Amino acid sequence: MSEHFTGRREDRRLITGTGRYTADWNEPGQLYAVFLRSDRAHAKILSIDTQAAQAMPGVRAVMTSADADIAAMKNPPSNVTWEGRGGTKMNQPDRPVMARGKVLHVGEPVAMVVADSVAAAQDATEAIVVDYEDLKAVIDLADALAPGAPQLHDTVPGNLPFDYEWGDEAKVTEIFSKAAHVVSLSHEDQRLVGNPMEPKAFLAVYDATKDVYDVWSSTQGMTMMKGSLAATTGVPPQKFRVHTQDVGGGFGIRSNAYPEYCVVVAAAKRTGKPVKWVATRTECFVSDWHGRDFSMKGELAFDAGGKILAARYDWIAAMGAYCSPTGPNVHTLTPATTSVGTYAMPAVYGRIRCALTNTTSITAYRGAGRPDIAYMLERLVDEAALKLKIDPIELRKKNFISKEAFPYTTPNKVTYDSGDYAGMLDDVIKVSDWNSFEARRAESKARGKLRGRGLAVFVEPSGGGRGPDANQAMIKFGSSGNIDLFSISGPSGQGHETVFPEIVGRELGIDPSLITARIGDPDGPPLTGLGTIGSRSMIHHGSASMIAAREVIKKGMDLAAKDLEVATQDLEYAGGSYRVKGTDRSISLVNLAKKLGGTAGVHPLDASGGMAHTSAFPSGAHVAEVEIDPATGVTEVLKYYAVDDCGNIVNHTLLEGQMHGGIMQGAGQVFGEHGMYDRETGQLLTGSFMDYYMPKAGLIRDIYLGDHPSPSPTNPMGVKGAGEAGTTGALPTLMNAIHDALRPAGVPHLDMPATPSRVWEALRAARKAA
Amino acid sequence: MSKIEMTVNGKKVSHDVEDRTLLANFLRDQLGLTGTHIGCDTSQCGCCTVHVNGAAVKSCTMLVGQANGADVKTIEGLATGDKLHPVQQAFTECHALQCGFCTPGMIMAVAGLLKDNPNPNDDEIEHGLEGNLCRCTGYINIVKAVKHAAAAMK
Repeated sequence: MSEHFTGRREDRRLITGTGRYTADWNEPGQLYAVFLRSDRAHAKILSIDTQAAQAMPGVRAVMTSADADIAAMKNPPSNVTWEGRGGTKMNQPDRPVMARGKVLHVGEPVAMVVADSVAAAQDATEAIVVDYEDLKAVIDLADALAPGAPQLHDTVPGNLPFDYEWGDEAKVTEIFSKAAHVVSLSHEDQRLVGNPMEPKAFLAVYDATKDVYDVWSSTQGMTMMKGSLAATTGVPPQKFRVHTQDVGGGFGIRSNAYPEYCVVVAAAKRTGKPVKWVATRTECFVSDWHGRDFSMKGELAFDAGGKILAARYDWIAAMGAYCSPTGPNVHTLTPATTSVGTYAMPAVYGRIRCALTNTTSITAYRGAGRPDIAYMLERLVDEAALKLKIDPIELRKKNFISKEAFPYTTPNKVTYDSGDYAGMLDDVIKVSDWNSFEARRAESKARGKLRGRGLAVFVEPSGGGRGPDANQAMIKFGSSGNIDLFSISGPSGQGHETVFPEIVGRELGIDPSLITARIGDPDGPPLTGLGTIGSRSMIHHGSASMIAAREVIKKGMDLAAKDLEVATQDLEYAGGSYRVKGTDRSISLVNLAKKLGGTAGVHPLDASGGMAHTSAFPSGAHVAEVEIDPATGVTEVLKYYAVDDCGNIVNHTLLEGQMHGGIMQGAGQVFGEHGMYDRETGQLLTGSFMDYYMPKAGLIRDIYLGDHPSPSPTNPMGVKGAGEAGTTGALPTLMNAIHDALRPAGVPHLDMPATPSRVWEALRAARKAA
Repeated sequence: MSKIEMTVNGKKVSHDVEDRTLLANFLRDQLGLTGTHIGCDTSQCGCCTVHVNGAAVKSCTMLVGQANGADVKTIEGLATGDKLHPVQQAFTECHALQCGFCTPGMIMAVAGLLKDNPNPNDDEIEHGLEGNLCRCTGYINIVKAVKHAAAAMK
């Protein structure tokens, strides 16, 4: 914790119950929307009878795909514009905002009722009669790609919308055929439900006189929300005024508008009244876009001395029944980006087939491809150390990209910015007392417990999201010298309101409390760029804020020179003041701003900053020790050590918060989270917090965090991002530890999640086999 | 419809409400006390925790009629004027909240826990927080805040 941390600016309202999340906003005369959703995985819709529902008390509208305003909505084109295997193209299936002719997964919206109260709308949805003809569903990834599988979309043969490959297949095949050692591994990377604590919600108000929509929603960024609402509804983006004050978690699943939001937009126009929709948690489980869900195979080729010669991957990535705007992109390109990990190998090849199944769409979820590739590669390296009989530390060190090699370009043409993998590994080995582990293992054994130790060293791309426009921030001065910082980041707990003013304050040499961050303000200047995704906010929005501050100082030079009646070149800026060099004559920035005043909302010191899209490469070396009780299969995490390179650190306490949360979300996947569908019926088996495991207090009690920063040269702040590193490290680290604990008991392999029952079953099977 | 009367944050309130109304919805929709959050529909998340007659209760588990005549305290009534409750103070100082959605319920649960057990150990804290989910913090700083608050309240 930072020495002087006394709390964030956001905190006061959030701890006193005066924060405002989407469901907390109300507009006079508002109506309430409730969706009727498919209760089956795959079926033809023969008819939808809404007559009885229309006639119920308080009902204002019943909407389905048959309505002209709904039918006119369009699925935005895919952002996957690059080629796949053999020059093939992305073949995105069409997605209606409500089911059209067919339902393709449990939870797909079929109709929406708008009524005077939630209860009246709920009652009316129950009066809608849908006549279905069931079709065979396909859930399993390999099943979906097999010949003869039920086809979800006529336009997407084989349920294969995209077949992505990267690297040099011929070269890698050649290397593997001659390698001294080949290590291979297959495992599952199960589907997760993001579960931000705030259920998704949307409120839309249409002003017919201005032809403008005011909308409230939980979003990871106003420009992304506007853009995706516009792309689907056909309403120009500038006609949406997006309001957010507090967002109850994002984690990647709130980058785009959900189809339901677009239907609510249409309802606000059609009824002429504000329309509010708040999802139940059950609805979130079946209709929030899910995360992960890969079936993975990976191989490493080694020479006789333990040098890695090449890596090869063959994965299937679930897309769900439709492609989300982000899923096909982040589950192909992102894992490919760091597919050589921290290792200097001469070649890599990978293929990821995207598969459509009768399930909820997949999108980015904390890490979004990063934990997935790190999990595969670092499990492979541990297995290789065993097979090659080389110490896992030595094997990694033998193959690391050296500190001197940066900027380093990988065989698949990705340039890593900076890093010190061997240095981080040394740090974590030391703090975790790695070398005296066997004594601790023996001590656990004496108590009848299985102790294991796991290590992972990983690198990940941060900065997510591309676009032609710079990410902008703007500083505006008020007549009393007060400063507003406008940003379009989309925070959901990261603390931007606190930390962005700290950045500007530091740059201007003034007290940050004089600066108010106005983030996602619909009345702010029209800024370009993306929101908060892919560990990018500090790189882009932080840097933009810093650049804007530098611009203010530059602009003020001439104005201060005029005020002090000297030449500009005689001035210097330091400690918040312009000073005539070598004298005590000066004027503070704040006083200069007050003197200059401003008219019509414009102040001469107002300035903006733009940060072009870029990437950095955070990395980390993590170690975990676990202890398994073979009698119950319960795993306890005894200690977790994380040494990370997040680049320069702006606010250490907030960084710690990101790491804690990220590591725990990784631990959630390792120990229990599983979005599980029934393979035959396509029903979601884990559709509530009663069935879906969520990490609880105490899952990990003790996390050590160490810093090993290599500042990034890709942005003026030298930052790298910290939102996803914890999760990326936690999957391989904890699973390597679990395997280390189980191996002596005869268990060679375990898939996530390592639930007590799975661990217990694996131990029992090993005993039987012995 | 039934007429409901109760004391909420020290003020007497009276409303006619549909019998199926839950206490959580009554607080939010009738009284506008939106600090009490609804994060699930199965009483697992704890975001809606309030105090009913001094005990921490998930307000989604009660029909409003069951709270008729009760003394209810919500997150909005926890501070004394501008002075934060020690648990609120500890949450901000220990960075025990990020998105803040679980926070009101978490704080009300912790205030209840410390009332019953002013000096909880790690096991008792974890047991006390079992009914409250947080997706952001990994609970590390929440547990720290509970200890911090316990020390401050001594």
